[in-house]
Amino acid sequence: MITDRVSYEQLLGISGCLALALLAHVTTLPIWVPIMAVACGLIRLGLARSGRNAPRRGVLIAVAALTMPLLFLRFHTFNGLVAGTALLSVTAGLKLLETKTQRDIYIITLIIYFVSLAALLEGDSFWLLAYLIGVCWLTTATLLRATSSGPAPGWRRSLRYGGRVLAQALPLALVFWLLFPRFASPLWQIPNDSKTAASGLSDSMSPGDITQLALSDEVAFRVRFDSVAPPAPERYWRGPVLDYFDGHTWTRSPSGFGAPPQQPQGVAYHYTVMMEPHQHRWLFMLDWPSSWNQPRAELSNDYTLMQPEPLSRPVDVVGTSYTRVQYPQPLRAGTRARELRQPRDRNPRTQQLARELRSAHSDDMELVNAVLAMFRQQPFYYTLNPPKLSDDSVDEFLFDTKRGFCGHYASAFAALMRAAGIPARVVTGYQGGTLNPYGDYWILRQSDAHAWTEVWIDGRGWTRIDPTAAIAPERVERGLADAVSAEDPLASRWQRNTPWFAGTRLRLDLLREIWRERILDFNQDSQRRLLELLRIPEPDGQKLVMVLGTAMALALAWLTWQIHRGLAPPSKDVAARTYARLCTKLAAAGIARKVHEGAEAYAMRVAQQRPDLAGTVTALCRHYSSLRYAAPSERITLGQFQAGVRAFRPKGL
Amino acid sequence: MSTLRQAAANRLRAWVMRRHGRDSLPISIHRRRIYILPTRFGAMLAAILCAMLIAGLNYNSNLALGFAFLMSSMAVVIMHHCNRNLQRLSVDVTPEVDAFAGREATFEFELRNGSNLDRRDIEVRCLTAAGMGSVAAQESATVEVIAPVTQRGVTRVKQFELRTRYPFGWFYAWTYVQGLITIYVAPSPAGTRTLPSAGAKGTGSHSEARGDEDFSGLRAYEPGVPLKHMAWKVLARGGEAAVRSYSSLAAQPEWLEWSSVDGMDLEARLSQLCLWVLESDAAQRPYGLRIPGREIAPSGGAAHRFACLRALAAFGAGESEETGSR
Repeated sequence: MITDRVSYEQLLGISGCLALALLAHVTTLPIWVPIMAVACGLIRLGLARSGRNAPRRGVLIAVAALTMPLLFLRFHTFNGLVAGTALLSVTAGLKLLETKTQRDIYIITLIIYFVSLAALLEGDSFWLLAYLIGVCWLTTATLLRATSSGPAPGWRRSLRYGGRVLAQALPLALVFWLLFPRFASPLWQIPNDSKTAASGLSDSMSPGDITQLALSDEVAFRVRFDSVAPPAPERYWRGPVLDYFDGHTWTRSPSGFGAPPQQPQGVAYHYTVMMEPHQHRWLFMLDWPSSWNQPRAELSNDYTLMQPEPLSRPVDVVGTSYTRVQYPQPLRAGTRARELRQPRDRNPRTQQLARELRSAHSDDMELVNAVLAMFRQQPFYYTLNPPKLSDDSVDEFLFDTKRGFCGHYASAFAALMRAAGIPARVVTGYQGGTLNPYGDYWILRQSDAHAWTEVWIDGRGWTRIDPTAAIAPERVERGLADAVSAEDPLASRWQRNTPWFAGTRLRLDLLREIWRERILDFNQDSQRRLLELLRIPEPDGQKLVMVLGTAMALALAWLTWQIHRGLAPPSKDVAARTYARLCTKLAAAGIARKVHEGAEAYAMRVAQQRPDLAGTVTALCRHYSSLRYAAPSERITLGQFQAGVRAFRPKGL
Repeated sequence: MSTLRQAAANRLRAWVMRRHGRDSLPISIHRRRIYILPTRFGAMLAAILCAMLIAGLNYNSNLALGFAFLMSSMAVVIMHHCNRNLQRLSVDVTPEVDAFAGREATFEFELRNGSNLDRRDIEVRCLTAAGMGSVAAQESATVEVIAPVTQRGVTRVKQFELRTRYPFGWFYAWTYVQGLITIYVAPSPAGTRTLPSAGAKGTGSHSEARGDEDFSGLRAYEPGVPLKHMAWKVLARGGEAAVRSYSSLAAQPEWLEWSSVDGMDLEARLSQLCLWVLESDAAQRPYGLRIPGREIAPSGGAAHRFACLRALAAFGAGESEETGSR
């Protein structure tokens, strides 16, 4: 009963379930929150073990008075996903500490259910869902043990029962999930309190920054091309453009919108970019983006697609890009000035070199080629482990170390161009990618992050120059792994050189992609397609609700049948079942068989009371007797008996 | 709130009574007479589920929505399970119950489970009391409900309730059974007077009072002894006419008379008579009861004792009716 005191066993079960549910939040919650909840559980368990009850109210109030302000200090609000979850977790811990009766256990189970859901608002992997369903299964079993009067059912029995309940709930849940109308926009604006760290490229680049990314196998985005994919030297995915240089670091200056017009030329590529959330505002598009399906996203004045808020959820961008563009307008004076800025007092040797180059080559393009030739001819190396650079990083790199990664080359090249009076900027993004042959899409990992440059050539406009391609063309042609294979950590080299491992990895990535496409991105369009699949013409919201109602009725009917099946176990004996049906029909006609009556005696009584039925009933009853007792050769078949009973329709009196 | 609830329950009970009429026991509970409502925790769960759905919709998270739907469907499944826990359960009850005023009446309900499913935590409520029991598959179990009774008299309980919160206590399903239970509440045994015969006969005759119809030997024939007590075999062997002696029959029957308890008020008189009945019964001597409007010939044994106690219970007062559980 509700007011029963809880036992040590019940406390142990519910504390365990709460701890497992909080485990799903360990990465997002401040670490002391789950620790506090678990500590509360342990203290309460210790008290229960020595036979004592919950601590006095004063203790609880003291703990609450200590933790609530701490929470508020940390979050400044309780309204928001993480803050709300933290508050709930602390409440659950306090509740655990004061648990006296089963009523408290009920409340904790409800908190566990809700905390599990909150974890799904943050994470989206299949494994998380499976884990949380497992936690709820366990919680349900614990609840069964806690609420049964008398001796609690065993764990195995409780788990089996919980599993059966979940299995029976599954079809109805599936119907709901598939057909419940989805809203295009949320009911109200969600407070975006996501503290998730931004990943991938940032809006500034010091030499060596991209090297960090190169070691990460994390997926940045996936791309599916509508027809053919462009060749490797054209697969530059445009990200943040960095145009402010302080001598060491390139930074993205707060750029406005309204890019000068471009005239698309060359080949058009249609594709879908499936972005992973990275907490920045930019979206990666193939150079040069021309159209996209995100109504709120806009092209910045340096041709990067930006959306109004940081990307906190996966998103699909359907876009079109052209490999070449023309610029009908000359470079604006303001822009030219901006793209030429550089600190006068930094990197003096570079400035000297630029002056020398300028005097040797009056044509901009010639000068560019001369620098690229310099990179090729002088002993420059492409390496993942370049030496550290001081403040005048470009000088040091160009004249002393000569060892660097794409960031070093892009940075030095753009600085040299600016010093020579050619507008230049660094573009960061991704280059290349891995084709997943199992799913026919491209995976771009953080290790595909790249930096290149753009220079303004009068008459040609912004021209992409990738100095890395001059040093290590294989980086652009085949990817990073081939370019730096000797420096790769042994483990990742093994991974790449073992075909079955690479294959398995790509297959897993395909599963992840299918999960995302089919489950995570299930929306109104998917529902419309589902209705079309059911051959419903012109699907709309109203029809969806009608289908939902029908499917729900079907699922409930199945559920009712499933649940009530055990009440009257149908006899496996077909003959007996058929005979029972005959008796039911006769009972409906007014002559119920008495419990003690055998088939022959019953038939005789029927014959007396209803002479009109005598012939049929006597025959059928005799058939039943013979099916029971006679040798197989002397009797009719079971099928004939069944048919006879089916055809028998006695009229009432 | 609770009075409102009580009023609603009373109306429902009356309506069920009209709808189904008297049930002949044992009755197998049909699904159409099972009612179900969420408990307070069920309501809390519903609130949490709503919050889950809104969160899932608002964050546009298909996983969270799926989880919320799974939990909601689970609640629906549990509702069916709760309802099923009572379905086709066969109930019977001892139709007559004896009790003493001021003590407790014990009702014995027999639950038979002909299905392949265990039925757990079935609560039977009768009068103001409740008893809990479980019935395993294909078995039956007896649930005792022990209710305090205060008023002497004959009470007819017309309805009792079967209720279950299994599993999880999110819902409670209940049903009313219109089975007639008659409670004979005998007066509380009390009084200071001694048995009328105690002074006259002394204790000698009591020494013989050992067992109901224990054969204790032969004694000489006296006229007026019932023929069936004659020791024919002894006579046939040529002996003297003898009578088989039975200890209880040997004692003089005691008449517990209304007139022996005069000078007290009605209930005190009945209490005194009740005490005498019990004393005589314990002493295993025949006794008869003579009260206005009722005379019970001297005899002994449990059936006789119940007859006397019921006569005392029914004395004077009309039968009162109780609709059932509360």
